[in-house]
Amino acid sequence: MNKLIKIIVPVVLLALCLKVDAQFIGNVGDVQMDERELYTMTKQMGQFIHRFNYEEDQYGKRLYPGDKDFRSTAKRKDVLPLLFDLNNQRTGGTLRDFFIEDLTKNNQYMEFLGGEWYSEVSAKFIWKGKAVDISMIMALEKEGLGSKWVISNVFFSEFQKYFPHGEMAEREKHFLHPMSHELDFMNIYKVFNDPQIIEYYASTDYLPDYLTLFFYEIKQGNLKFDHVENVKFHVFQIDNWYFEVSWFNRRGYNAGWLISNLVYLKDNEKEALLKIYQPKK
Amino acid sequence: MKLKPSDMLKQLKSIVVFATIALVTICGVTSCGSSNKLSKKEYKARVEQATKDLNAILNNETAWTLEEQQARVNEIKKTDFSKKNPEIVEMIERAEAKIAREMAERDRLAEERRLAEEQRIRELEEQNKPKTSLTEYFDMIANAKDVVSANSAIKEALKLFASPDAVVLIRLNNYGDYDRPTTAVNYLNYIKDQKKVNVSVDNVKYNEKNKITELELIKK
Amino acid sequence: MKKLLFAIAFAFFALTGYQAFAQEPELSPERKQAIDSLALEKVRDLSKYVKLIGSKNTPWSEANRVIDRAEELFAPDAEIGVSSLSKTKVEYYKVRQYLERLMRLNYDRVEIDWYKIQYVSDLQRQPDGTYVGVITIFQTFKGYDAEGRLVYQDTTKKDITVYVKRKETQIGGRLIGFWDVLLGDMRVKETAH
Repeated sequence: MNKLIKIIVPVVLLALCLKVDAQFIGNVGDVQMDERELYTMTKQMGQFIHRFNYEEDQYGKRLYPGDKDFRSTAKRKDVLPLLFDLNNQRTGGTLRDFFIEDLTKNNQYMEFLGGEWYSEVSAKFIWKGKAVDISMIMALEKEGLGSKWVISNVFFSEFQKYFPHGEMAEREKHFLHPMSHELDFMNIYKVFNDPQIIEYYASTDYLPDYLTLFFYEIKQGNLKFDHVENVKFHVFQIDNWYFEVSWFNRRGYNAGWLISNLVYLKDNEKEALLKIYQPKK
Repeated sequence: MKLKPSDMLKQLKSIVVFATIALVTICGVTSCGSSNKLSKKEYKARVEQATKDLNAILNNETAWTLEEQQARVNEIKKTDFSKKNPEIVEMIERAEAKIAREMAERDRLAEERRLAEEQRIRELEEQNKPKTSLTEYFDMIANAKDVVSANSAIKEALKLFASPDAVVLIRLNNYGDYDRPTTAVNYLNYIKDQKKVNVSVDNVKYNEKNKITELELIKK
Repeated sequence: MKKLLFAIAFAFFALTGYQAFAQEPELSPERKQAIDSLALEKVRDLSKYVKLIGSKNTPWSEANRVIDRAEELFAPDAEIGVSSLSKTKVEYYKVRQYLERLMRLNYDRVEIDWYKIQYVSDLQRQPDGTYVGVITIFQTFKGYDAEGRLVYQDTTKKDITVYVKRKETQIGGRLIGFWDVLLGDMRVKETAH
């Protein structure tokens, strides 16, 4: 089925584009250039959202409420498969079809300022003299007359090493008993005997704030930004679904910003994940 | 047919009048006006007529043209009034001076009118002469074959403006949306660089010297 | 009495709400289109300037004059971030630096052309109210040596930030409202094409 989709989809794309191929062919000096690949490429994340919602037709013309085909369910069903990375087995097949069916049946759309979608910026930093990988999670936040991207969390393996999950049985061995106050907390020195597990003495629901650690290390001069390696997007806006969008720089009719991962989520799973992407929300 | 006595009398009177006039005229032409040759009665008549005519000339009480006035004065001068009527000689001098002044003034005014008319005709010709319009300059600049000819066209086009910094406004639509205001020299150079004209002239403001002070263009 | 107070409160909040809305009027599709066209035109202007600057047929003094014109299209702090397929780390240049580098490239002949396609994003508002958008275009670059051989070519995707701000100025005694369009950061990324 996937192989069939791989053949059919580009053909559908070509068929959609052939009608206006006269517009697509541009003259560059003496060379005729075929712009069809560039037309089909999802060039911006904004274009991904418009195509996802069918707020833009196959020629890139913007559609507005009141236009006949604005958010047309039938046309959405045609276009949505083209927003997937067709080389990816995980996002192909029945899961994708189920997703499209669910999306169109329940008229779910992605909104730029709708929240619950994040950008993951993978970057290289210099930490204590060596190059390390850090992912910054960015969220859109409304402010003043508009909005802005903010850093909502950070994933750095070195930070996580400081806060290993730890077995419950081991955690339960480490506590200050409830009458410690009557002895002026003379036993508190034990908390500091083993710095590696000091967080066991915080409340049960304590979660380390990696963002504050990150800012602290930057302010201390221990961590220095070097360059961005790559950007991708994590979208939780659609009920019961998570999908990831990545950039595919390649020839052909399946390039640009495309869905690179798709997961069916239950609501409680989603809540747990959202707490990781945006802990302070 | 036999004439009646009354008719004969009338005819005789006419003959006498014409003869008198002829005699006076001939005597005048043949300079027989010298007081020596004129009778007292004739001289007196001349004095009276000369005085009357000169007063009329000096007081602007005559409908004669300046040439006719001059001719009349010349006529009066043929009689020698200097011995017995020096006041007439003085009047003659004053009349001649007045006539000369008025002739000079008239000629001056005529010359002024002539020059003004020539200027008017020149201006009319200038207006009717086909001039390069602003839109034509825009096209010339956009289609110039090289930088030198484009710059030359820009230099010519700038002559239409009060100054190179004359304001140029570019309207986008009918909702009051404009592009950033610019100046004539900047806009003409923009056309040169971009080699395109995507505007039409919408409104032009001129100063008293017919130079453009503000140009409003609208996007096509 | 309670109903009256409620009505007054409702009217008060409704009115202040209306005032807030009136301060940030929504643009109609036609006006949005005019602004999009204006923004796109600035990008097209830039492409023309880049072609002039890169061309070896442009006299040096003209190329410098055109660099000035091109620089005026950009906001003062704009930067150009360039990466390639072989060098993915982004190199940063100031606008003038980038254009002067383009002018000094060591080829005998250069061909810079732009695909007709462009993509204009929606304009989003920053916290200060300025509209910001991104226009995507594609450019091909070919460099030839003295013998006319093609020694270098690439196709790059250019994502250009566009800032649009409503401003007013006095001209001839009347108030003119205009859209001030400035280009911001530009990301230049080599494509597989």
